[in-house]
Amino acid sequence: MPDEEVLEEGLLNPVQPEIQDPLLKSILADNATPATEPTGEEAPNPLPDPTDEVDCVVIGTGAGGAPLLARLAMAGLKVVALEAGPRRDPTKDYATDEKAQNFLFWNDERLSAGQNPVAFGKNNSGTGVGGSTLHYTAYTPRAHRGDLQLHTDFGQGVDWPFGIEELEPYYEEIEHFLGVSGPTPYPWDAGRRKGYPLAPLPLNGAALLMQKACAQLGIQTSPAANAALSARYYQEGIGWREACTNRGFCQAGCNRGAKASMDVTFLPLAESFGAEIRADAYVTEIERDASGRVVAVVYEQHGRTVRQRCRHLFLCAGAVETPRLLMLNELALNSGQVGKHFMAHPGMQVWGTFEDDIRPYKGIPGGLISEDTHRPKDADFAGGYLLQSIGVMPVTFATQMVRQRKLWGQPLRDYMRTYNHTAGINILGDCLPHAANFMELSDEKDARGLPKPRLHFTAQENEQRMNRHAEKLMRQIWEAAGAKDIWAFERYAHVIGTARMGLSGDDAVVNPDGKAFDVPNLYICDNSVFPSALSVNPALTIMALSLRTADKFLANLR
Amino acid sequence: MPHYPEGTVRALLQTELVTPATRAALEARLNAPADYTPQFFDADTYQLLRAVAARIFPQPDRETPIELAPAVDKRLTDGTADGWRYDAMPPDREAYRLGLGGINQAAEAQFQQPFMALSAEQQDVVIGQLAAGKAAGENWQQVPQDRLFEEMLAELTENYYAHPLAQEEIGYVGMADVPGWPHVTPNTLEPREPEPISN
Repeated sequence: MPDEEVLEEGLLNPVQPEIQDPLLKSILADNATPATEPTGEEAPNPLPDPTDEVDCVVIGTGAGGAPLLARLAMAGLKVVALEAGPRRDPTKDYATDEKAQNFLFWNDERLSAGQNPVAFGKNNSGTGVGGSTLHYTAYTPRAHRGDLQLHTDFGQGVDWPFGIEELEPYYEEIEHFLGVSGPTPYPWDAGRRKGYPLAPLPLNGAALLMQKACAQLGIQTSPAANAALSARYYQEGIGWREACTNRGFCQAGCNRGAKASMDVTFLPLAESFGAEIRADAYVTEIERDASGRVVAVVYEQHGRTVRQRCRHLFLCAGAVETPRLLMLNELALNSGQVGKHFMAHPGMQVWGTFEDDIRPYKGIPGGLISEDTHRPKDADFAGGYLLQSIGVMPVTFATQMVRQRKLWGQPLRDYMRTYNHTAGINILGDCLPHAANFMELSDEKDARGLPKPRLHFTAQENEQRMNRHAEKLMRQIWEAAGAKDIWAFERYAHVIGTARMGLSGDDAVVNPDGKAFDVPNLYICDNSVFPSALSVNPALTIMALSLRTADKFLANLR
Repeated sequence: MPHYPEGTVRALLQTELVTPATRAALEARLNAPADYTPQFFDADTYQLLRAVAARIFPQPDRETPIELAPAVDKRLTDGTADGWRYDAMPPDREAYRLGLGGINQAAEAQFQQPFMALSAEQQDVVIGQLAAGKAAGENWQQVPQDRLFEEMLAELTENYYAHPLAQEEIGYVGMADVPGWPHVTPNTLEPREPEPISN
């Protein structure tokens, strides 16, 4: 239970927990020892002291890396996380300004190929201590049983190597740890054991318009589950976090700590148990011994090269950088599956203009949800999607609008003057893996001299059918709500696949525990291992998988 | 078209309703020096970019238009990106050089004069051709004009609506977020949210 006295003494700063335990203090002090400087051309990667071997190195501090980092540290292991981006102080560094927050995104150039080239950067990939969760919209719906067995149900795609019951205890644990705000009972999952810990956040303009229109059309809706606090919340091992102020800036960084990004949740928990997080550490090499075991990781930090020995490696760098590191290091390639089966969620948006003064910058962007379309009766496609109301900030709205509508000159300025009267709905739909959609290394090099990744994506028949179904339905909803000037923006968000999990090393990169088939001490945990894309936003499932992977690893150690 | 009371954002920036980080970001744009010297583009190409930007964002209502070209020049000088590029496009620096050159070629093909020498109406014809994917010019064999137009339009749009005065024009006051937004339902404004003025 919360301890008000402790709080008043200011001991519960989630970012810098006061360390009382002398043992923990000495561990942190050891880990804070700066790495040896390179001594010259003879020894660019000096051999570290043999005691400088840690139990686990975790590459990436997002939804895939942070939960397991905490789990491993809590089990008493010596763990180090390497994060390519910087560590920021949200209360001081996060302006409420879209352009000023560009540093949150993975802005190294990726090449987008195929008929539906996927936008990266602010669309789906983050950098900094907390990874992409720094800018996720905090939608946290659970996957459904059917999402993990598309092949069984439709004869298309592949099944996950385990059922939803493996994830459910973790969903529950994470929802309560993060303080997810959501409806209880949840309308599309009657069998749920525990409700959400906090009541839903207030519905904004877009959510209320969608709610009313869906009621007219017989579509069931509910306030969404969001990992942003609708009330002050005490988080075990971290302390009090403040409630959301409806700032609406969730697509970028939360300056209040109300949004459950990893930097205010699992990472401070991990650090309170002795985990060390090294920011600005860009991994370039993964070293192995003659038997094929990973023995060290090499990274660039502040202009120098550092080598860290480890007993186990957890690769949690996301569905582009994870396969890129595997390819650059010729690691775990035996199955031939690295880079294959790249998936992206159909995320079509439909916008309309209303009489009402809506102010789309207020309230949680994703306020309302419907999962009635999870398996639509009139579908001509496999899988399904969910509907979400959306709020939006002006620069994001304007740039996507011009990409779609190609307005310029006076008509562009005139249309944008209706910004305060616009509201949107979008979908999050499943995506089938396809041979035409994959990642490869290009010949073009980045500033570090490493090949840029090239990603091919073409929406196949199933995604096209789903988009047509969804666009028609969303237009009906906005017409029923009284919208004028309705337009649709076909987009694809989230990067999924590229290092598939499966039962056999013949057709998968990692086994059901997240362990690489080819490398005895390499685990992969992020959206790259998803065998299918799921019909829900991925963050909660990535976190659940992260805890499950940690538990499987710890069980194997014993 | 609705418009919002002038001076709203400047006034908000002086209040405690805006965090220091937000104020610093917006004031830097608001108070940017008028005399920007390009670092990446040569002087003529820079003026060409300014002229194109002035037709994509015509600002007859402003005594001093919001300058959109400096941020492009600065970004290309720094070599920074937004995380991705169409595989069909050359690298950004090359794309801008080829694209702006192509706009001149299209102007020559249509009006036998460079873009800068054309009237506003003629310039709009050339940009209209580019937007429709029908601009003439040999450079367009090296750079797909639909993608070039989309990318340039998106970057100029980002620079325009990132400016505090453009945000004021559309009634956006989200930068004043310190107290939070207790009233999120339609037609319920906080005192600091200005109401549109009808013409």
